[in-house]
Amino acid sequence: MTSSRRTVLTAGMAAAALVTVGAPHVARAQARPARQARMVPHGDLNVLDPIWTTQNMAAYHGAMMYDTLFGIDANFNPQPQMVGKTDISADRRTYTFELRPGLKWHDGTPVTARDCVASLRRWQAKDGAGTHLFARVADTPVVDEKTFRIVLKEPYGLLIDALAKTSTPVCFMMKAEIAATDPNTQITRHIGSGPFKFVEAEYRQGSRVVYERNPDYVPRSEPASGIAGGKRVLLDRVIWDIMPDAQTAASALQAGEVDFFEVPPIELLPALSSAPGVKVEVFNKFGNVGYCRLNHLHPPFNNLSARRAAQLAINQEDIQRAAVGNPAYYQVCGSNFTCGSPMGMEDGAEVLMLKSPMAERQAKARELLKQSGYDGKPLVLLHATNIHVMNQTMLVIAQNLRQVGFNVQLASTDWGAVVTRRSNQNPPDQGGWNVFFTWGGGNATSNPIALSAHAANGKTAWFGWPDNPQTEQMRTEWSAAPTLEARVAVIRRLNRHMFDYVHDVKTGQWVGPVAYRGDRLRGLIQVPEVIPWWNVERYA
Amino acid sequence: MTGYIIRRMLGVIPVMMVVGIFVFSLLHLAPGDPAAIIAGDNATAESIAKIRSNLGLDRPLLEQFASWGLATLRGDLGVSIFTQIPVLTLVGQRVGATISLAATTMLVAVTIAVTLGVLAAWKAGSLLDRAVMGLAVTGFSVPVFVVGYILVYFVALQWRWLPVQGYVALSEGLWPWLRQLILPSIALGLAYVALIARITRASMLDVLAEDYIRTASAKGVATVPMLLRHALKNAAVPIVTVIGIGVALLISGVVITETVFNIPGVGRLVVDAISRRDYPVIQGVMIIFAGVYVLINLLVDISYSFFDPRIRYS
Repeated sequence: MTSSRRTVLTAGMAAAALVTVGAPHVARAQARPARQARMVPHGDLNVLDPIWTTQNMAAYHGAMMYDTLFGIDANFNPQPQMVGKTDISADRRTYTFELRPGLKWHDGTPVTARDCVASLRRWQAKDGAGTHLFARVADTPVVDEKTFRIVLKEPYGLLIDALAKTSTPVCFMMKAEIAATDPNTQITRHIGSGPFKFVEAEYRQGSRVVYERNPDYVPRSEPASGIAGGKRVLLDRVIWDIMPDAQTAASALQAGEVDFFEVPPIELLPALSSAPGVKVEVFNKFGNVGYCRLNHLHPPFNNLSARRAAQLAINQEDIQRAAVGNPAYYQVCGSNFTCGSPMGMEDGAEVLMLKSPMAERQAKARELLKQSGYDGKPLVLLHATNIHVMNQTMLVIAQNLRQVGFNVQLASTDWGAVVTRRSNQNPPDQGGWNVFFTWGGGNATSNPIALSAHAANGKTAWFGWPDNPQTEQMRTEWSAAPTLEARVAVIRRLNRHMFDYVHDVKTGQWVGPVAYRGDRLRGLIQVPEVIPWWNVERYA
Repeated sequence: MTGYIIRRMLGVIPVMMVVGIFVFSLLHLAPGDPAAIIAGDNATAESIAKIRSNLGLDRPLLEQFASWGLATLRGDLGVSIFTQIPVLTLVGQRVGATISLAATTMLVAVTIAVTLGVLAAWKAGSLLDRAVMGLAVTGFSVPVFVVGYILVYFVALQWRWLPVQGYVALSEGLWPWLRQLILPSIALGLAYVALIARITRASMLDVLAEDYIRTASAKGVATVPMLLRHALKNAAVPIVTVIGIGVALLISGVVITETVFNIPGVGRLVVDAISRRDYPVIQGVMIIFAGVYVLINLLVDISYSFFDPRIRYS
């Protein structure tokens, strides 16, 4: 070998330069076109199929590039979006939808009724509300290029609400050949008809997602409201910068390197609020609802008295103080259906003794636990330590339960392991569990059908597997109720009933403010569970 | 030498196989299910089971290992369970950022550390020596993320000299590339400055005590040539060894730095993949990391013969 040191050094430097220069353009220069906005979302977009997954990030992505037949407005009323004309038969069993003119896919082809029917079929297989609806659907005939029908076996008051909802999976429309993909397999082509186009070439999973204005999009004439109304695109590009570190995101916002930070941690809010040009606002007024799932299949929570003891022991105020901290952002709630929402009735909440001193509640809980015949066997609590709210909440739940006499064993792990173990129906000492904690979006939680966790159909129900035919009966009644008043009347009974038999244990409700550059952006729309970027203007 | 290199390169294969078996076993025996994460929190158990089946995650482990192992031998590291993007493409998208960060960090660290180490050894026992050793202890003791946040607070937020975060490829221009890397390189490099400076000092002290240095000094060789040509060259072997170890340690060090400074590198790729149990990505990146580690060690071994002609490989 005759290489000299100089040769080796030169070759090494050349190789390094080659790799570096030849590397893909992971990020572009900081120079920013006039009509561009950068957002730091709450997580990574790692699944591009908003039907395949219920992840919120996929729904955000869907709202950018896909469109919906209907959308909810700022008052949570469904309004037509892709649909131009709706006709409902006198017996309320046949809905005829005519698409509005000018709708085009991003590849330039027109949106057809056949596309919409295929999309509905795929969506219903994955969505709780969709499945509930389609159990009552007799047929979905295509009438012509722009018109299709949904023919029901029986009247169903929630049909349009289901098509308009923002809880995941949202009923996004896709091209028929893409929507023909098995609902349990991810789509591989990404062609929407929404206000923005997904720039696949610039997508870097875990790093950035880029959207460009869809110049062919024809917005409705009404003003934007919720995810309904005219989706006027006033930005050329929207970039999502995926930042795993909240401190970095907050600093980037303060320095003006990004324009919008979706979930700044509560402890950083004072610094952000006082930063020049930065605004801190609550966009999603419904926020999140926490719930502690009890395993109804195995002792002790297959016993009503034990569940009631846990319900009294778990203290919402303690949990929220530990997990959220600032009372301005949380509330104790006596409803199973999101306080502050139209369904947020608190009938029956007196059994929670929310206003009673804790000592009194604990005494009652001890009495109930004694009645249950609990044998002191350790409760297995699935404890996700890698997510702040989950970590704090489960620590408080464990302490609350200990205080009334439960023998508690924390199974500490990460959320990835919790989501696996929670599906195990075996007894806790054979890989199962007794308690885990999670939360749902306030919008989804306000709807007894949309949230899978509200179901009480035994082993096919959501994790915890409550089995209560009365709950199921009332959910069905709610879905068939023709008016808001009728739905509220059902909810009042359902709420009381769910507390009475302890479907699960609510741990409080909290909101997460967003922080954004108010000195640059205006027109941001406040809607739960989606961040719309239409109507947003960059003025500086 | 050529024969030695070929033998070492062939030795990479069993190392990679062992790494592959370990990584695969650990991942699949550890709790966690990508199907459950894909499906999302609102999904039912039935929906999760269907996704698991479609992804082939319900097949026997041995069958999964065999198909992954055979594909890897063909150079196919598979595709991400989540994005369906090939692992090699994902790594390719990120390797530029990681190499840039590692290269600038080592450049900063080696330049500063060797200079300080030589000076400290030359002026052993002086105030300068103590200051260098104090810096070394501090650099080693303060975590990378603390240094990172302090730098961001002052340099980026208060003085607005440099950006807070992000990465720009070199093809976008030398200065845009460099300005994004200055803070992360300093934050990450501080620990390596400490490590390399201490070894340089110790190695130089040994060499400076040798007779031939005294002879050179007596013959009137000037200080700088004596330190650099006579002493540093002969002290280089341990320094190169520790630089090699430092490069290997960078593989873990970049993960935190990439997170704090939002650099989309390979470190973040693997951490994200672990949190959501994206098995093909974790396995693929680990195999690549193992290969790089072995290669670095080989390069370090080869470099010994350039610094010390007495070392010969056959």
